[in-house]
Amino acid sequence: MHSLDSIIVVPPHCPGPGHQLRLRPGEKLAFGRAVEGLAIDHEGVSRHAGEIAAQGAFWILSNLSRTQTYVVENPEGAGEHIKVGPGRLDAPVPFEFARVVLPAAGELLSFEVWAPRHDHLPRHSDALDGTETLPAFSLDPAKRYFAVLAALCEPRLRGAPHAPVPTVEQVVERLAPGWPAASRATVQWNIDYLAVKLRLKPPAEQAGPGPRLNGKKEALASLALRFDLVREDDLAVLPCAVRQEAGVRQEAGR
Amino acid sequence: MTAQPYAVTVPRGYRVGSWEVREPLASGSFGSVYGARRTGDGAPRRAALKFLPTGTHTPRQLNHLRELAEREVELLSRLRAPRLIRMYEALTVDDPEHPELDGATVLVLEEARTSLDALLDSGVPAQAPELLAEVCEGLAQLHDAGWVHGDLKPANVLVMADGSVRLGDFSMAAELEGTHAYAPAFSTPDYTPPELVWPEVGERGRQIRASADIWAFGVLAHVVLTGSYPLPGGTAAVRRDATVRYALGEEELRLSPQLPDGWRALVRDCLAATHQERSAHQARALLGRIRRLTGAARTRRPLLPSRRKPSRRAGWAALSSAAVFAAAATVYALWPEPSVTYGYHRCPAGEVCFFSDVNGNGEMCHWAGDDDDWLRGRTRCAWSGDRPVKSVFNNNQERTKEISVAYWRGPGFVPTGVEPERDSERAGCTSVNQQGNLKGDYKLRSHSWIPRCDAEDAHPGPTVSESNL
Repeated sequence: MHSLDSIIVVPPHCPGPGHQLRLRPGEKLAFGRAVEGLAIDHEGVSRHAGEIAAQGAFWILSNLSRTQTYVVENPEGAGEHIKVGPGRLDAPVPFEFARVVLPAAGELLSFEVWAPRHDHLPRHSDALDGTETLPAFSLDPAKRYFAVLAALCEPRLRGAPHAPVPTVEQVVERLAPGWPAASRATVQWNIDYLAVKLRLKPPAEQAGPGPRLNGKKEALASLALRFDLVREDDLAVLPCAVRQEAGVRQEAGR
Repeated sequence: MTAQPYAVTVPRGYRVGSWEVREPLASGSFGSVYGARRTGDGAPRRAALKFLPTGTHTPRQLNHLRELAEREVELLSRLRAPRLIRMYEALTVDDPEHPELDGATVLVLEEARTSLDALLDSGVPAQAPELLAEVCEGLAQLHDAGWVHGDLKPANVLVMADGSVRLGDFSMAAELEGTHAYAPAFSTPDYTPPELVWPEVGERGRQIRASADIWAFGVLAHVVLTGSYPLPGGTAAVRRDATVRYALGEEELRLSPQLPDGWRALVRDCLAATHQERSAHQARALLGRIRRLTGAARTRRPLLPSRRKPSRRAGWAALSSAAVFAAAATVYALWPEPSVTYGYHRCPAGEVCFFSDVNGNGEMCHWAGDDDDWLRGRTRCAWSGDRPVKSVFNNNQERTKEISVAYWRGPGFVPTGVEPERDSERAGCTSVNQQGNLKGDYKLRSHSWIPRCDAEDAHPGPTVSESNL
């Protein structure tokens, strides 16, 4: 991701990150059946169906259709959505993750738009004037990715600084009580998204001697711990206390 | 008012090492600063104590604070330069009865009067160009030594009692490894160059280059000279978007019409959109341009009367681009040509260093104590037998007494027979934290630490630093 890109568009049936489209602030992307940009190959979609434009850290949607209403859903928002009526131009979308749903001859087609640069008030600071030294990262503790990051950091935050980072399966198991849909795929999706959001640099091929973190999970956990993106009190976002610990406490109480 | 998440509350009268805490001075991004006075003998009498909440028992177990504190201590212990705030010592609080203080890192720093940020609250300072020249000089000293500041802004520029400025707060500073350095993933939005607005972050932090400081200096100069940011917008986020649009070539840079003539081109160069364009403008060269803008005459702050006769050897440099420091007849050339390199940073802390070439280059002899004969005794300085000393750096900030160093042409602290017409018998004297070139023939054989260069000096103590004016 180029450092000035702020919006990522994921086409329908996107085979991989290489096919995602990236926008810088001010850049526009047209979508429709006959456009240069995001081509949506379906008879029920207008030739020029609409336009997405990156605006700083968020994006705006123009509905160029004369008849159809588009719906923009927040996949993590428990049904939260906005409607953008026919002919509406430059409607701002407030979601970090969005699914744009287009009705097409009785079918519903969709593609995703991510806004990983959303700003959040830094914790323990109400600085908004631009003169405060602030962390380079902005995370939303209410999002699933934050729970995934917390789960990755949990063993080290609970006092085992050299503990291995949990496997994807362990993260699924850890988060399942509060997130029934958690699966290998959804957890891995959040890990990949975190790498984009935290602008994780892929390790250089000819890095110097010494131990190197080889996995994304390890790199994410060490970055998060180094800059205190997740702290001990953040572990409250995880479903419940670690069972082992609870067991120890019970025994001690007897 | 901003919440101060990392503020450390220290009661008045609290003792740390030989220091007694007095009044609170400021709360910065990552700690709190208190005035303090020395309880025993020695100099300096006062200092500023910066408390960083790094304790193991502090409620907030913050890893990054420890890293930031280590960075600042490392830079300040290794690097001394006249325009960088000085650290006398670094201490760790050992006080189990005050868990919120126990383990805190305390930086004992030279006491400043205020910050440039506070000074700007009362409008554009009258001496703005001179202040900027000094800020730029600090950057040049830092960059020459191979470091990047990483968080240059008015709050991190300290104004001393004599009105001169020094750079402070080095918690984001990083040592260059080749062309770039690795700095913590923190930044101040309004002073961040476009390429670091959303930086990539690797295992060692974000990569920054000296050109990031140049951008920040451009913003700072615009703010100091006009009272407004160079990029438009009512909030930091809008100004950030303007920065990005400018970097993408979608928007022109429109500097304030209040920017004085001459400064416009300089600020524009500092705010070049890409690192590549900006790296053509190094701090040392910018300093030369600022000196020409402000005029050499105005930059000489005559704190001490010159008792020195005009030197033929100093020539043009002494008249136009060099200021003259005259205490005890030692002369320093101060504004050398932009392209020079410096070797002063090689000088170990707590010692005085003499160099066989100008600007701290060439061979170096250094001592922590006195030496009555450089060619004999424990520390020998062979090259001084046939070559003169061309530059000197008194880097002895560990000392609390006898903080200046006097030197003689003969062994045993006496002049030789060919001593030229000087007010004192010694060849020269250099106060603490001063560095510079020696103009003239300084073939030396002995030196000794003394309380101060000039006993009648009206500016006592180790904070005198006229050499860098």
